Amino acid sequence: MSQATELAAAAGSTDPKVGLRAVLALRRLLERLEVVQVDNARRQGWSWQEIAEALEVSRQAVHKKHAGRPAVPGSWE
Amino acid sequence: MFERFTDRARTVVKRALDEARAEGRHPVGTEHLLLGVLADPDALATRLLAESGVGADDLRARIRRHTGNGGLAEADAAALREIGIDLAAIVARIEESFGPDALREAAPPPRRRWGRRPHLGGPFSPRSKKALELSLREAIRLRHRHIGTEHILLGLLREGGGLGALVLTEAGVDLADLRRRVEEALRTAA
Repeated sequence: MSQATELAAAAGSTDPKVGLRAVLALRRLLERLEVVQVDNARRQGWSWQEIAEALEVSRQAVHKKHAGRPAVPGSWE
Repeated sequence: MFERFTDRARTVVKRALDEARAEGRHPVGTEHLLLGVLADPDALATRLLAESGVGADDLRARIRRHTGNGGLAEADAAALREIGIDLAAIVARIEESFGPDALREAAPPPRRRWGRRPHLGGPFSPRSKKALELSLREAIRLRHRHIGTEHILLGLLREGGGLGALVLTEAGVDLADLRRRVEEALRTAA
């Protein structure tokens, strides 16, 4: 099998181990991306309500998850 | 918990803190403790690791490979590749917009918070904290009054699960064998 077809096979792999591992990695990436983007939104003056709407979650949920961090990371050294 | 640490062991912990600080605001991980030990050229632990062909530069490069993908492990990058996602491209795009290490420093908030935030766990990661506690236990087990650099290494090996242990294994070190050799060297020295 060529490398390309191997990759294509893995993408739709029926092996749960492969598929679930990909989901886990994706979740880890998602969590980090969310932190970057929520911080960015706060820096640009977005309210928790606006962020919550963009993420389609409740304001309480997004506030509970992210409000503990300073709004502008990197500037609190 | 550092009362029984020798001056050199304290220096190791201090260096680990510096290593972690140099990387951003990460808590001290087992890999930082390992680098802290290796920074002491005269430490018994460093000598034994050198005998196994392990040096600080090599380990640093290996650690970087695990933390270079925006803070995700190489295994995560591989898993994402399997479903057609190029993590390196995403990291590059984020860093372009938000600065170097933006993704790596964006550690997700801890899931469970018992009202203490955001510095849950203090300057040490749960694993490195455990490794330091185990270094104390190792010293007690070996009937040593003080905790030296070699006990920190023993603690790291006993903990066995952090990035420190992982890069050692990758460098070809048999953790159980290394532990035996450290204990042996300690007996000879005693």
